[in-house]
Amino acid sequence: MERRDVLRLLATGAILHLAPSKMLAVAAEARALLDNQPSLRTLNPHQDATVKAMAELILPRTDTPGAMDAGASAFIDLILTEWYDEVQRNVFLDGLAKVDSRSQALFAKDFIDCSLQQQGDILIDLGDSMVARMRKSRDYHFFDPDSDIDTDFYAILRRLTLTAYYTSEAGATDELHFEIIPGRYQGCAASSLDEETSKK
Amino acid sequence: MSESTTFDAIVVGSGMTGGWAAKELTEKGLKTLVLEAGRPIVPEQDYVEHVPAWDMKFRGMGDRRFQLKDQPIQRTCYACDEWSSKFFVKDTEHPYTTAPDKPFRWIRGRQVGGRSIMWGRQSYRWSDLDFEANLRDGIGVDWPIRYADIEPWYDYVEDFVGISGEALGLPQLPDSKFLPPMELNCAEKFVREKVAKHFGGERVLTIGRAAILTQNHRGRAACHYCGPCERGCITRSYFSSVNATLPAAEKTGRMTLRPFSVVHSVSFDSKTRRATGVRVIDGKTRATIEFRAKVVFLCASALESVRILFNSSTGEFPGGLANSSGELGHNLMDHVKAGGADATIPGFEDQVIVGRRPNGIYMPRFRNVKSRHPDFLRGYAFQGSGSREGWARGIMQTGFGPEFKKSLSRPGPWRFTFYGFGECLPNHNNFVELDKETVDIWGIPNLKIHCAWSENERALRRDMAISAAEMLAAAGAHDIEPFSTEEPPGFTIHEMGTARMGRDPKTSVLNSFNQAHDIKNLFITDGGAMVSSSCVNPSLTYMALTARACDYAVQQMKKGAL
Repeated sequence: MERRDVLRLLATGAILHLAPSKMLAVAAEARALLDNQPSLRTLNPHQDATVKAMAELILPRTDTPGAMDAGASAFIDLILTEWYDEVQRNVFLDGLAKVDSRSQALFAKDFIDCSLQQQGDILIDLGDSMVARMRKSRDYHFFDPDSDIDTDFYAILRRLTLTAYYTSEAGATDELHFEIIPGRYQGCAASSLDEETSKK
Repeated sequence: MSESTTFDAIVVGSGMTGGWAAKELTEKGLKTLVLEAGRPIVPEQDYVEHVPAWDMKFRGMGDRRFQLKDQPIQRTCYACDEWSSKFFVKDTEHPYTTAPDKPFRWIRGRQVGGRSIMWGRQSYRWSDLDFEANLRDGIGVDWPIRYADIEPWYDYVEDFVGISGEALGLPQLPDSKFLPPMELNCAEKFVREKVAKHFGGERVLTIGRAAILTQNHRGRAACHYCGPCERGCITRSYFSSVNATLPAAEKTGRMTLRPFSVVHSVSFDSKTRRATGVRVIDGKTRATIEFRAKVVFLCASALESVRILFNSSTGEFPGGLANSSGELGHNLMDHVKAGGADATIPGFEDQVIVGRRPNGIYMPRFRNVKSRHPDFLRGYAFQGSGSREGWARGIMQTGFGPEFKKSLSRPGPWRFTFYGFGECLPNHNNFVELDKETVDIWGIPNLKIHCAWSENERALRRDMAISAAEMLAAAGAHDIEPFSTEEPPGFTIHEMGTARMGRDPKTSVLNSFNQAHDIKNLFITDGGAMVSSSCVNPSLTYMALTARACDYAVQQMKKGAL
C-alpha cells in the first residue's frame, strides 16, 4: 500500500469501517512509511547532536514523550533542506555555531559536552536576547517565514522544536489530547484537570 | 459514442452559483450542461480534513518552495494551507495583470465545486438598508429589487442549505430560517454580556450564521467539529456545491457535468438576438467544441464571467457581449477588512473548549443604522472569536524543561478578536478589461484589473479598530491591540459588481432577474450582478438570486419569450 493510499484511508474515515486486525495493519504500515526517513541532509552529525540536545532540553521526555522521541531534529533537517531558503538556513546554521562559541567561551567545551546546568545557562541567555529582540516586533505570524521571528536563531529553533513536537502523533495525542473527530463542541467545559489531579 | 452538444441550458461554472443553477434548472426539467474549467472532485479521494498534521510532510507549515514559485498569490489566503492548497489555482497557470500602482489579490479555485469548497460558510441575509443604499446616497444605480422580492428566495435556499444561527429580529440583518445555533464560548459570552450592558441594544454579539449543519438535514450529517471545513467534509456537513447542489442536480438524471471545459466565449446570433451557446476549449485535448442551448447561465465568478463576455465581442458588441451600457467589467467591489482589535480576556482559567467549532461570532452592522456617522457612508459588521491560546505561545516564551512543557500541555489565556468586514462603494473607475498583451495557457486573454480603495473604505477600516477597542475596553479586557491593516482589494474574496443589475439598460448590464438587458437568454447570477456590496457576506444572496433567476428563466421559456 502506498503512503498516498494510507492517507486517503485516514482522510475518508474508511479506516473506521475496517476490521480491527486490518486497521492495525494499515496503521503499522503508515508508521513504517513515516519511520522510513531519509538520513540527515543538511545537518552534520555534530550539528544534529547539538540540535537534539537543545530540543530535548526545551521539551524533555517526562511521563510523556519528548522532543527527541518526536523526531524534532529530523524535522528541523527537513525544513532546513526543503523549506527555508539559503539566507534563512544560514541564519540557523550560524546561530547554531555560535552556541558552541558561547559554550567554549564560558565553559571551554562544546555545548553537547556541557553539563545540563551549563546548557541551561546558555538557553537562558539565548532566551533573553530573543525577547529583547522580539519586543519591538508585534506582528508575528506563526506560519509566515518572512516574519521577524525568523531572523533569530533561537526563535527559529524554538518554533521548529515546538512544531515538531506538538504536531507529532505523540505530542498531539499524548500531550494535548488532540482528537481528530471530537464529535461535539463545548465552549465553556469544566477543565478535567482537577479530576486528573485527584486521581493521582 | 459521440458527445452530445445540444442542451436546453448551459451553466458555466460549478461553484456556489453554478451548483444552484444546475440544481434548479434540472429539477425544473431542463437538460443542462454544466461546464467547469477545472478537474473533477471526488470527496472520498480529495477531501483531507481528517488527515492529521503528523501525516503531512511539513506538519502543516505548507510546501513553502512550491507555493513561493507556483502560488505566490494564493498562498497568502488563510485557507490555502498544506492540506487545501490543491483547491487553489497555480498562479503560474492562471495569471492576471494589474495597473502597477493598484495591486489586487485574486484568490481562485478551479475545480468542480469552485470556491464553494473552501469558502468561509458565513451566511447572512441582506436588508432594505442595503437594497435602498445606493438610491439613498445617490451613488451608483438603484437596486432594481427590494428585500420583499428576494425574501421568499432566501427562505427557499436556506431550507435546502441549512443555516445554523440565532434569531435576533434586527431590521438591518433579517433572520434566516435557522437550524439551532452553535454555542458561544466563555470569552464570547463574556464580551456579549459586557457589550450588551455598555452599548444598550445598539451592538449585539451573536454566534456566526453559518452554512454548517447543527443537526442532520436533508440527507447530510450534523457537524462533528473536526474544524477545517476548507479541506472538504466527508459527512457533507457544510454546504458546498459538491456536498449538496450538484448531487441534487445529478439525481434528476438531466445534468451533464463536464470538467476540464474552459469556456472561451459565448456565441451570439445577431439575427435572433440570442446567445446560441458557448465555445469551449477542452482542457485535456485542447480541441475547440461548440455547445448549443436555449439559455446560458454565466456562474463563473464576477471576474471570470465578465472575462468570457469580453472575449465574446461581436461587431455589434465591440466592447464585450451584452455591453451596450458600457458598464460591463466596471464597478468592481470587494469588502474592506483587516480592521479590529485583539485582547486578552481575564479569568475562566478552569474552563476549556472541547471540539473545534468552524464558525465564529458576528456583530451586525451598527454604524449608520439609526444615526448618521460623520466620517463615512454605510458600515461594517464584526466577525471574530474567542479562544484559548495554544502551544504556539511557547515559541516566544523563554522557558524550557519539564515545568515549561507541562505548562504548554494546558491551554493559555483566553483571547478575543473583533475583525471587521466593511461595505465597499461602487465606483465606475474600479474595473477590469482584457489585457491586450498577455494570454493564459489556453490562449485566452488575461484580465487586467484596476481597483483601489476609496477614502470611505479606509475610514470604515479605521473606525473598525476604534469601535472594537472601545468595546473590549468596556468589557475590561487586557492587552488590547487595535489594528487597521492596509490590504489590497480582492483579498476578502468577495469580488462583485462587474455586471450589475439595474432598472435602466443604459446604465446596467442585467435586469431585476439577472437577465442581460441586451440578450434575453443570457443570465449572470454570480457576484457580477451585485449593485452595491452591503457589508455582509454575499454568498447566500448569490444563491437566492440564482434560484430566483432560474425560476424566472424557466417561466419565460415556457412562455416562449426566450
